[in-house]
Amino acid sequence: MKNALRVVVTGEVDSGKSTLIGRMLYDTASLHKTAIEEISQASRLNGNILEFAYLLDGLEEERRGQLTIDTTQAFCRNYRSGFWFIDVPGHAELLKNMLCGSSYSQAAILVVDATKSLEDGTIRHINVLRFLGIERIIVVLNKLDILGFSKDVFEAAKGEIRAFLDSIGIKTEYFIPASCRQGDNLAKKSAKTPWYTGPSLISALHSLGGINKTGGKEGFYFPIQDVYLRKGNPVFVGTILSGKIRKNDAVHISPAGKRDKIKAIRVFGANKLSAKAPQSIGLELARGEGALRGQVISSDGGLSASSEITAKILCVQPINPQDKLFFSCATQQAICSIKQINKFSLVLAGAISDRGAGLNKEDVAEVLIAVREPVSVKRFSQVEALGRFVLKKDREIVAVGIIT
Amino acid sequence: MENSVYLDELESKSINIIREAYWQYKEKLAVLWSMGKDSTALVHLVRKAFLGEVPVSFIHIDTTFKFSQIYAFRDKYAKKWGINLIIVKNSAALAKGISPDKDRFNCCDSLKTVALKEAIEKFGFKVLLLAIRRDEHLIRAKERYFSQRDKEFKWDYNDQPLEMWGQYYMTGHEEGGHLRVHPMLHWREIDIWKYIRRERLPVIDLYFARNNKRYRSIGCQCCCNPVESSADSINKVISELEVSRVAERSGRAQDKEKEYMMQKLRSLGYM
Repeated sequence: MKNALRVVVTGEVDSGKSTLIGRMLYDTASLHKTAIEEISQASRLNGNILEFAYLLDGLEEERRGQLTIDTTQAFCRNYRSGFWFIDVPGHAELLKNMLCGSSYSQAAILVVDATKSLEDGTIRHINVLRFLGIERIIVVLNKLDILGFSKDVFEAAKGEIRAFLDSIGIKTEYFIPASCRQGDNLAKKSAKTPWYTGPSLISALHSLGGINKTGGKEGFYFPIQDVYLRKGNPVFVGTILSGKIRKNDAVHISPAGKRDKIKAIRVFGANKLSAKAPQSIGLELARGEGALRGQVISSDGGLSASSEITAKILCVQPINPQDKLFFSCATQQAICSIKQINKFSLVLAGAISDRGAGLNKEDVAEVLIAVREPVSVKRFSQVEALGRFVLKKDREIVAVGIIT
Repeated sequence: MENSVYLDELESKSINIIREAYWQYKEKLAVLWSMGKDSTALVHLVRKAFLGEVPVSFIHIDTTFKFSQIYAFRDKYAKKWGINLIIVKNSAALAKGISPDKDRFNCCDSLKTVALKEAIEKFGFKVLLLAIRRDEHLIRAKERYFSQRDKEFKWDYNDQPLEMWGQYYMTGHEEGGHLRVHPMLHWREIDIWKYIRRERLPVIDLYFARNNKRYRSIGCQCCCNPVESSADSINKVISELEVSRVAERSGRAQDKEKEYMMQKLRSLGYM
């Protein structure tokens, strides 16, 4: 059994995201009997008939307010490895919760209210997905039941969404006409859309799940997470980001720029002769002097030390030039400052206006970051986990970044 | 042989989180162990994370209403694994004769949450590791891996911090507050059993069917009911879970007492 595909369900407020997930869980027999009883009861209390969104929106405030406040995940069973659906809020002010959920996903479903087509929230979510590098997208045009399952309305909305996706360079082949509440074209093809020749949502998800992004030939990268003393020897513990390692392999330690050799691979119980991603292990080095948390052990002789980084960032809180910020990438952390704001590549909400040297919440910008201590990073396209980072202020994440 | 990559990935993420919490908080960290299948798997993950030399404490919140098998299991494996175990009780409430018969909400809150509060204060812990999982309960599914509780133990579920790409919000320095860490949030019930099988972990025999009944989830004897099942071995439990439509915690009273009871208990600091 391989790992289940993790899919975030995005879209404007009230487009039917939680309902889509709830209905999919219901139609694929992924729900417990008590869950169905419980939502039937809660739906009655709140005056609804059967509210599939309650299967995700478990908080009292969410049910009373009929909205998703925070992200959650639900497992959808099927005859293969299944899927994890990630529910996220649509409201702009809940961007951090939307980002949190999306960061775990490998693919996305974009839910669009076909009665409204392209809305601000739709655009915002597409831009967030693009920022995070999530390129596998299925578009679900929802609420077609209200529109009498009209082919013309579907085609018009599809044309508008496709034109927008094309304009920002996102290719997708899946546009599914649906009623999430009634389950049309979700777990199986619907008889109400005889004019639609494409797959149901679940078939489309299977097609996406078959695409494997990683080639498996990447180099070995291992950020040191901590150093434990075991029987008097330092053991460098951490998680292998990619590649594999064998005892006696020659390695580089960055950004210190040292060469070393693997003396032992330590796990609980016994030593191992080899290890590979994504295992969490311990390494003993032949020399190892000065190695500590934040350094990266790798097979990459070209992993250099950078003190200036060009990246695109997405702000979740306002940033002022005088703010004391920390740059955090894998286990590396360094005090940093934003030296230059090159350009706003896009803004999620509202137009770009002159706002001086700072950045506002929801701004996306290309920036030059100066770090006080050098760090070892890669481009996101080369090694994802060393090509993405966050900026923290007072321990809280204020921006997320991708190294381009 | 269990598919190694799939379980390796779950395990590795948990170990990474345990090590991250320890790096930040060292011996201010304690692991909650209820002797159930999940927290016993967590104990194993902690032992793996520290390569067998565990520098942190374990807490058992003893309501005194637990199954006798739980106490026997605790004493046997705490000794075998050389665990530094702290057993905590709310003696004052027990002396007053508190019991689930009178008020279940109050009983859970006093004997578990209040007992835990007292232990945190007494031993100065700042961080608790808990084996909760998203697929157990809708409210637990809303959790973060690192989650702040204030000095009243309140959980501000309406404004949780952003965590992503392995970067967590690690505070806990607020006066009297603490941090909950959930290294197994991403595991499913069936994953736990596959892991127990692969790692050959011991489990309490209440989980296996006798007379066509078994416990899916265990806690206090008075508030747990068994489910219909013929699964009397780990393999059969796994086969049963592949197709079961019965909720894991359907035998747990505090989950279905009243609407939002779990949310109310949890917002007051319940596990």
